[in-house]
Amino acid sequence: MSVPVSQMWTVATYVLRQKLQGRRRYPLVLMLEPLFRCNLACAGCGKIQYPAHILKKHLSVEQCLAAVEECGAPMVSIPGGEPLMYPDIGRLVKELVARRKYVYLCTNAILLKEKLEAGLFAPSKYLSFSVHMDGLQPEHDEAVCRDGVFDAAVEGIREALRRGFRVTTNTTLFDGASPMRMQMFFDEMMDLGVEGMMLSPGYSYSKAPDQEHFLRRQKTNELFSKMLSNPKRRWKFNQSPLFLQFLMGKHDFECTPWGNPTYNLFGWQRPCYLLQEGYAASFRELMETTRWEHYGHKSGNEKCKDCMVHCGYEPTAVNHAFSSWKGLKATVAATVTGKL
Amino acid sequence: MIPADAERSLEGWDPGAVDGPDLAYVIERAFDYRGDVTLVQRDGREIVGYLFNRNTDVRDPFVQVFERDGGALLTIPYARIASIRFTGRDTAAGNSYAAWLRSREARATPPASGV
Repeated sequence: MSVPVSQMWTVATYVLRQKLQGRRRYPLVLMLEPLFRCNLACAGCGKIQYPAHILKKHLSVEQCLAAVEECGAPMVSIPGGEPLMYPDIGRLVKELVARRKYVYLCTNAILLKEKLEAGLFAPSKYLSFSVHMDGLQPEHDEAVCRDGVFDAAVEGIREALRRGFRVTTNTTLFDGASPMRMQMFFDEMMDLGVEGMMLSPGYSYSKAPDQEHFLRRQKTNELFSKMLSNPKRRWKFNQSPLFLQFLMGKHDFECTPWGNPTYNLFGWQRPCYLLQEGYAASFRELMETTRWEHYGHKSGNEKCKDCMVHCGYEPTAVNHAFSSWKGLKATVAATVTGKL
Repeated sequence: MIPADAERSLEGWDPGAVDGPDLAYVIERAFDYRGDVTLVQRDGREIVGYLFNRNTDVRDPFVQVFERDGGALLTIPYARIASIRFTGRDTAAGNSYAAWLRSREARATPPASGV
């Protein structure tokens, strides 16, 4: 695993503090969506289908910072939309870094080189560019429905690494993904020099154009088992090893929808990053008035039945690591040995 | 009054004046709709915008709308709503993935000669 020690320490102490305070539900990563606008229209994405006047809107930096303060999570992920299209992205990141938040700026990297050359960002241990890469060049370009995006992203990654930035990749896997091709992809990303990779099965957004290629649970287990049963030592993953083991079918976790709360133009999204069942005006209202028992694999909710996505299950994996000696031992063992 | 096929786009749908459970149903569909709607109030005034939220867990259930022109965020009680027309383009409708596959195939296949 490749998460830096300082970040692991921050997360570990945060989680332990929550446990000591007896907080049953706590946020781990704030998903901050300053805008919905994007320069791609990926087949598996249900985030950008809005009228033009909504796509033109964005949160102010002050609104973003207020949400970060209110939420209190130690990590902030900035997806979207494409965050590099957010006019104040430089100032927002600077403010978050000043607050010692670990920031994952999730980007398709089409604009990355241009923004780096413009001097918008400064390298920091708190800032990581999390570049969307759904596989090798043909698979990625197909997933994002545009040729040439893989090459542009690689160029952006090289430029960021050259300038001393932390760079990770985030990969969404759909039905039909080849374990062997994915292993080749892991090699290619490690050759590029990224710090680590993040993997997740896709979620079947009801608004996404492509509804045929989402993985079901058993297929997810099979795919991840084939891909990761004999991981190379050089493959680094920037996520909880227990989450990857869950995807391989080695753990039976339940969803933690409040673990990655989402804030955007509409407010605090209920119940999670993927489902849009309404909005709360404050983080407190979200936590106190959402009917959490209606969500998760065991709830019987059809929308949650096949979901194994990172935003619901990675917080569960992290919580599990700090809930028992067994969980901690499994995490430490996988982290040290690299075996899953 | 209510389209039977839930998967069909509601673009252009005008359910007419509604109240009670029908109003709640139409609001749910408008909340799920990824296009602008025209909200007709009981006093006859109309609001065009994107309905992004509704809350029935409060004493006076309400919807929230971003106005198309001007961009104001409006909160409107259910009790003031007479009807909702689905007047804006449904941005989630269509088959862009299928269109992408077709265009890829067209590029990969050389045009027939002698035509």
